[in-house]
Amino acid sequence: MSKGNAGGSLRRFYIIFAVVALVGLGAVGYSVGSRALGGAVSEPVDMEGLDDMRRLTDLAVPVTIGSEDAPVTIIVFEDYLCTHCAAFSLQVKPLVEETYVQTGQARFVYYDYPLNPQMGSFLAARAARCAGDQDRFWDFHTRLMRNQRSWGVQQNKIPVFEDFAEELGLDRGAFSGCLNSDRHAEEVTANLELARALGLPGTPTIMVGSGNGMSRRLPDYSFQTIQSAVESLQGG
Amino acid sequence: MIIAILALLGLSVALYMWAYASGLTGPVLCSVGDCEAVQNSEYSRISGIPVAVFGVLGYLAILTAALLGLQPGLQSSRGIPSLLFLGGLLGVAFSAYLTYLEAYVIHAWCQWCVSSAIIMVLIFLASVPELKRMGGSS
Repeated sequence: MSKGNAGGSLRRFYIIFAVVALVGLGAVGYSVGSRALGGAVSEPVDMEGLDDMRRLTDLAVPVTIGSEDAPVTIIVFEDYLCTHCAAFSLQVKPLVEETYVQTGQARFVYYDYPLNPQMGSFLAARAARCAGDQDRFWDFHTRLMRNQRSWGVQQNKIPVFEDFAEELGLDRGAFSGCLNSDRHAEEVTANLELARALGLPGTPTIMVGSGNGMSRRLPDYSFQTIQSAVESLQGG
Repeated sequence: MIIAILALLGLSVALYMWAYASGLTGPVLCSVGDCEAVQNSEYSRISGIPVAVFGVLGYLAILTAALLGLQPGLQSSRGIPSLLFLGGLLGVAFSAYLTYLEAYVIHAWCQWCVSSAIIMVLIFLASVPELKRMGGSS
C-alpha cells in the first residue's frame, strides 16, 4: 500500500469511526438523558376506549392472590396514601388471606384507586407494580402502607421508592428503570377509571361476590364484615 | 480498522446495557425477545457486578489495542494482533456462555446480548487474518 493510499484509507477509517461513535454513543447518551429529564409517569395517562366497560375491565388488570376457581371473590380498591387502606392492608388483609385465600375459599383481587394521583399515590401504585415485575408486589405494597407517613411527605418520592426496593432485595437498576418510565401507567389509569365507572365513593372499598357473579360493596373494611359477607355467600 | 469499528459498536451496546442495569435509562428498548427477563435474571450479575461492566471493559481493551495498532510505529508489531486475537477469543468464550444461559437456563433472549455476541464473533474472525499476516511476515 503506497503512503498516499494508506493515508486515504486511514482518513476514511476515522470518518467511519466518528460516525459510529456519534450514532452509537449518542444513542446511549440520549437514552440516559431522556431518563434524566424525568420519564417517571406519576399521573393518569390518556387512553382510548375506557368508556367501553368491557374494554375497561380488560385493561384494568388487578393483582390477585389465590385460586381462580375459588367460589368467593374478595375485591379491594385501595389508595397508597389513604390511612384506612394502611389499616386494612396491615391488619385485616393478613387475616383475610390466612382464613379464606390460603384455604382456597376465596380469591383476593386488588385494584389501585389512586384518589389523589398528583400527591404520589399514582406513582406509588406504579412502583408496587414495578416490584411486581420482580414478583415482590405484596412486599412492596406492605412497605408502602407501613411507611405511608415517611414517603408521603417527601417531595421527590422516586429515590425513596428505589431505596425501599433495594432494602427488599430487588434489583434496583431494573426497578428504577421501570419506575422512571411509563410502565404500568395504563394499568393503573384503567384501575382508577374502573373505580370511577363503578361509582366507588372512596378507599378502601371492599366488595365480596361469588365466583363470576355480582359483587356486593361492604359498608366497612373490618374482618367481621368481610367474614359475614363471605359466610352468607357460602351459606346461600 | 474493522476491529476498532466493531469494538466501538460493541462498546455502545455494553454501555447501554450498563446504563440500564444502573437505572440510568427508562425501560430497555427491546423489539425482539424479552430483554427485561434476561436483565432481571440472577445471571445478569457476576458477584454483584452487572455483566455489562465486563462487556464495557472488554470492548474498551479491544478498542484501545485496535487503535494502538493503527499508529505508524506499531503497525508492524506482532504483539497487538496477538492481543486482539486473544481478546476476541476470550470475548467469544464469554459470549458463548451468556448465549447458552439465555437459551437453556433463562429461556429468554435479549437482542442486545445477541448483538454483542455477534459483534464479538466478528471481532474474533477479523483478528485471525491479521494474526496470520503478521505470522507470515516474520
